[in-house]
Amino acid sequence: MHPLTLFALVLALAVGGLSLAGCGAVSTRGNTLNVSGSTTILPIAEESADAFKALHPGTTVLVSGLGSSAGIEAVSAGTADIGTSSRDLKPEEDKLGLVDFPIAYDGIAVIVSPDNPVHALTMAQLREIFTGKITNWKQVGGEDRTVEVVNRDEASGTREAFQKLVMAGATFDAAATVLPGTGQVRDVVARAPGAVGYISLGFVKPRFAGVSVKALSIDGVVPSEKTVADNTYPIGRVLHFFTKGQPTGLTKEFVDFVLSAKIQRGVVIDAGFIPIAEGGKR
Amino acid sequence: MTDETASPHSAGTLQLVSRGTYVREWLLAALFFVCAFMFVVAVALIFVFVGVKAWPIVTDYGLGKFITGTVWSSASNTFGILPLIAGSFLVTLGALALGTPLAVGTAVFLSDVASPRVRSFVRPAVELLAGVPSVVYGFFGIVLLRAIVARFSGTLGFGAFTAWIVLAIMIVPTIAALSEDALRSVPEGIREASYAMGATQWQTIHKVVVPAAKIGIIDAIILGMGRAIGETMAVLMVVGNAPVFPKGIFAPLATMTTQIVMDMPYAVGLHRTALFAMAAMLFLFSMLLVAAVRLLSRLRG
Repeated sequence: MHPLTLFALVLALAVGGLSLAGCGAVSTRGNTLNVSGSTTILPIAEESADAFKALHPGTTVLVSGLGSSAGIEAVSAGTADIGTSSRDLKPEEDKLGLVDFPIAYDGIAVIVSPDNPVHALTMAQLREIFTGKITNWKQVGGEDRTVEVVNRDEASGTREAFQKLVMAGATFDAAATVLPGTGQVRDVVARAPGAVGYISLGFVKPRFAGVSVKALSIDGVVPSEKTVADNTYPIGRVLHFFTKGQPTGLTKEFVDFVLSAKIQRGVVIDAGFIPIAEGGKR
Repeated sequence: MTDETASPHSAGTLQLVSRGTYVREWLLAALFFVCAFMFVVAVALIFVFVGVKAWPIVTDYGLGKFITGTVWSSASNTFGILPLIAGSFLVTLGALALGTPLAVGTAVFLSDVASPRVRSFVRPAVELLAGVPSVVYGFFGIVLLRAIVARFSGTLGFGAFTAWIVLAIMIVPTIAALSEDALRSVPEGIREASYAMGATQWQTIHKVVVPAAKIGIIDAIILGMGRAIGETMAVLMVVGNAPVFPKGIFAPLATMTTQIVMDMPYAVGLHRTALFAMAAMLFLFSMLLVAAVRLLSRLRG
């Protein structure tokens, strides 16, 4: 074939492909399950997906972590089968027709660098740090050092929960650094002696990174699985799976699988969360 | 025999090639037209789409409040983009200030100083920099650069300063390659004339070659600015993403592009409209930059 003819053919294909691309956005499901949402729930969802795939050969479970709000948006729009969220539904999301499956409890730990001598804060002090009123660690009994607040992005379920449980209507200091992931917050806080941030209790232990962070006790209560489950630690929340309407088929199987003792006693505990059946007091 | 081959001429028109060739030629011309046309249509469609999606900001929110507002907060449905515009320009201009001397210096070195052997490995290195995906620069910025900046500034290391360095490295290849083209298009005779007058190499570069290529270099800088102002991923990873006027070059800030990416996954209603309006603003800025380049090339012509 003449090179120019070949070139023309390729171009024609490219042009044709471009014009078709707009129409071909509908995905085919079949044996594919799409689980999307909270970065906090990512370890549970991924481990469960791997175990589920091993039990059901031929199925694909796609897990992604874009933030809780993105997950709720995706499941209500139908682009995900299960939306995972580390926050409850907002009033305006109640009418989306989502069915709620609580899958675990989680505590939010307030973390600082291990080099920071501060060990405990009260809820009031914590609030004033995140509104920007307290700007130096010596105001809460620490060294003379500037407080560097690390916040999460607004799509984060952890931020929603923190805002609800800690801020009590006050607004975050807008000038604080905003990082788009639990891992980044942990890494940055671990290396900066003046930094303070918040992450899920499950991420405090140094299983994911070589650096360690220190979780502060709040109102005199040390965050632990026990204090979150018995509701004495003040910053705790429920992790959710949401489905659009009652789940059927593969979606239902996966939800049941995650709620089974195998996952609850294994994956959920391993990831640092509290199994739903044991914390049933709330 | 000879009569047979000459017979097409008797048709009246002079046909040097076969009819099939004419058809192929016509089809190719049509195909290339379709290519170019589809591109224009795509740009027009994007422009219309962004415009339509952004329009409610004028009717429901108010353009003045949008552009001059100083608070960006989706929680309180307040969308003032002045801090973000300021952030974009602070980051871009700083990167240009750092990157331009480096890039123009590289271009002068490549076009007028380096021996062919040195040039043969410096030029590919610069071109390679242009091909590195921006997320890689961002990763380098957040892992290595931020930690260094954090240590000597005593902050977290997120902010304009870190972004400047990352962006400067990113725009150097763009500016250097285009500046080098401009410098090379200066006729050799002009250099020879300068040397013949007894000028040194430095005097020739400084007084003759660079001024002669001035418009081309400014062109290159404007295109570098376009790249810097639109850069998102690498900047997002190092600026700290606080939508406020930064308290200093080591304090967190946000730019228009980074705020769009941060908010996109969950924005609904007016918030989403505000993001589209911000996209329209970016569109406008890049149109102004393209217009500036066109104007300059007309000056050069």
